[in-house]
Amino acid sequence: MSLLDYLLQPEVAIPGFLGGLLTAEEYNRLSDIGEEALVGTTVRGREVPGALDIAQMGLDQTQFRPFTVTTATGGQFGTQIDPTTGQFTTTLGLSPQEQAMQQQLFGGAGQFFEQAQQPTTGREQEIFERLRAVQTPEEQRQRLALEERLASQGRLGVQTAQFGGTPEQLALAKAQEEAQNTAAVQAMQQAQVEQMQQAQLGQQYLGASYLPQAQLLAATQPSQQLAEFQSGLQQYGAGLFGETAMSGLEQQLLMERARANLLGQVGGRMLDKAFTVPEGGGSGGNILEDIIGGARGMFDNTREFFGGLFD
Amino acid sequence: MAQELKSINLVAPAFKGVNTEDSPLAQDPSFAEIADNAVIDKRGRIAARKGHTVVTTNKTVLGSDSIRSIKEFKDNAGNTKVFSVGNNKIISGTTTLADETPGSYTITADNWKMVNFNDKIYFFQRAYEPLVYDTTGGSVVKLSTVTGASAAGDIPKANEVLSAYGRLWCADIANEKSVVYWSDLLIGHDWTGGTSGSIDISKVWPDGYDEIVSLAAHNGMLIIFGKHSIVAYQGAEAPATMVLADTVAGVGCVDRDTVQYTGTDVLFLSHTGLKSFGRTIQEKSLPISSLSGNITKDIIAALQTENNFFRSVYSPEEGFYLLTFVGQDVTYCFDVRGTTENGSYRVTRWVSTGFTSYTRKEDGTLLIGTSKGISEYDGYQDDGSPYRFKYYSPSLTFGDSSRIKILKKLKPTLVGANNATVFLKWAYDFKSSYATAEFTVGDQITGFFGVSEFTAVEFTGGALTNQKSLNATGYGTSIVVGLEADIDGSQLSLQEINVMALIGKLL
Repeated sequence: MSLLDYLLQPEVAIPGFLGGLLTAEEYNRLSDIGEEALVGTTVRGREVPGALDIAQMGLDQTQFRPFTVTTATGGQFGTQIDPTTGQFTTTLGLSPQEQAMQQQLFGGAGQFFEQAQQPTTGREQEIFERLRAVQTPEEQRQRLALEERLASQGRLGVQTAQFGGTPEQLALAKAQEEAQNTAAVQAMQQAQVEQMQQAQLGQQYLGASYLPQAQLLAATQPSQQLAEFQSGLQQYGAGLFGETAMSGLEQQLLMERARANLLGQVGGRMLDKAFTVPEGGGSGGNILEDIIGGARGMFDNTREFFGGLFD
Repeated sequence: MAQELKSINLVAPAFKGVNTEDSPLAQDPSFAEIADNAVIDKRGRIAARKGHTVVTTNKTVLGSDSIRSIKEFKDNAGNTKVFSVGNNKIISGTTTLADETPGSYTITADNWKMVNFNDKIYFFQRAYEPLVYDTTGGSVVKLSTVTGASAAGDIPKANEVLSAYGRLWCADIANEKSVVYWSDLLIGHDWTGGTSGSIDISKVWPDGYDEIVSLAAHNGMLIIFGKHSIVAYQGAEAPATMVLADTVAGVGCVDRDTVQYTGTDVLFLSHTGLKSFGRTIQEKSLPISSLSGNITKDIIAALQTENNFFRSVYSPEEGFYLLTFVGQDVTYCFDVRGTTENGSYRVTRWVSTGFTSYTRKEDGTLLIGTSKGISEYDGYQDDGSPYRFKYYSPSLTFGDSSRIKILKKLKPTLVGANNATVFLKWAYDFKSSYATAEFTVGDQITGFFGVSEFTAVEFTGGALTNQKSLNATGYGTSIVVGLEADIDGSQLSLQEINVMALIGKLL
């Protein structure tokens, strides 16, 4: 008997044909299982995400979520992510009163620094003139008194090489010149002190101008901790979700692979039986039915598992 | 019945000097109406002044001009030198006058004032740079050329200079009529350094404005004479701190060359006559007394007509202060030994003397400048020539101006006047036509013990006294008696004049 005749024998052709079908089915199923593990599937009407979806969902779930902090004085701290570039930005917004105060302080600081940078000559002159304005009336009185005294003594017209005028006039002029010199030195010192004060005031104003901002940042600290805590929880949940989803997929993959292996084993046995001449000349039809029935039960169990997972 | 002669003895007539201020009728016979070329001698009599003996033998540098000022320079080493000015020159010497004018120094005026100061003699005249001489340099030089001197432009070109309180003081500068400058201490050529200085008293004048004429130093004060006011500063030893002590308004000084020191006073000529500071320490003030009260109008008249120099000198040896109106050739001689009842000095007048300057040397010699050079006030001739002594009494009424007086005799008693011709004059009732009786005094040469005894003359006890009795004529209610004599080598003093007259009826 030829091979073809042999293959066309019922007891050979049927098991062989069935075995081949089962094997092909098992092959195809393995291919589908891998694909569904990646892209997802639908179980009992529910879409079950694949590994890629789960990864995307995990990525989405673990992304930073912008938040805004508003202080009691109206200041706001905000975070933004550019949807296009993904660039992370933060914004600090002060209340109008705080902004006004900040601008005022900034302006004051600028003025103080500007004044501190100015040459002290002009200020020295101003201070000197004010000091002289205080001293001049008394000096004028003293000068007039001396003039009257000299006039009564007939000495108004005295000019000497030694003193210039009279000794009294020299003494008075010397005292007044010393007062002027002292005033000049005092004016220089005062101008320098004021310059230092302006620089210090500038620094104080500048520091104070950042105070609303610093307070706003300080006010965001608890919120930032909460955001970090939330982000941690989010990351933990996403991780848990991914791990769970992936473990289900792995479980289904294992079961599907087991079913495919079982189906393959059945198909293999059938093919093997088909190509193996029984000693009794007959076939055992109950075994094929059992194999086919077992494989169907395996697929049913897998669907139930994924359906329960995404409910 | 013959009437009794009434004798009126004019003892020491005119011993109070000239008085032209009081009414002639009311005057004391002790005054004189005229006392020319006279002095009050040591016994209080009116007498002829001394003459002058010219000591200059060579006055070529003086030419026909007169000596306008004389000063004896003397330094601490005892060197002396007589300087004078005249003929627009600085002159030295007394016998032979030498030109001491610095080279390239042109002088066109002779109104110099010279002062001794710290071994130097300084010459000041308005608008001229001052000159200086010292023994070491040996020549008169411009002050600015002295080592360490101020620049010529800084040295005051003053007309008045005073050496006092260790400094030179100067004033009366063109365009600076109220400024007094003083030099550095003991450095007469430094007017800009050290303790030199100046004071402008234009605001001090009691009358609001005046011009400085002269300066004087007295009892620690600097006395500044204006034309019609006086300012005195106390503490001039330190001029920077000297203070005004007193001011006098209405009395000033006519000319710087009228100021003389008498030791206790400062004499000066004001527009109303000769004045002095009689200072009382207790009052600390300067009362001014008039010293020419007996000839006030004469002085004022002379002042108003004078257009030349004033010159003066004080001679303690002779006891007079001479004040000469050079332009009028009149000198008033004030006897400083005492004053009359009105506080005035006894004064006589010297006329036509030709005296143009004076100075008193350290030894007391009085040098006189004339056109003949330098003379000494000595002898009784003016350079060998006689001069006329005149005395005229005030109008005498003998106590009753209503009765006629008929002069019978005049008996003058003269002292000295050897061989002099004496003219005794009298006039009545204020007439200027005098009757004259002339007589010649005999030989009055004195013979001193051990000198002339047994030789030329008879031994005498000093100046001889001569008494003459002359008959007088005429009559009138008032009588002026005069005596004139040419003084030609001998002194003449008028001891007394005994006037004998008959008192007539009432008019």
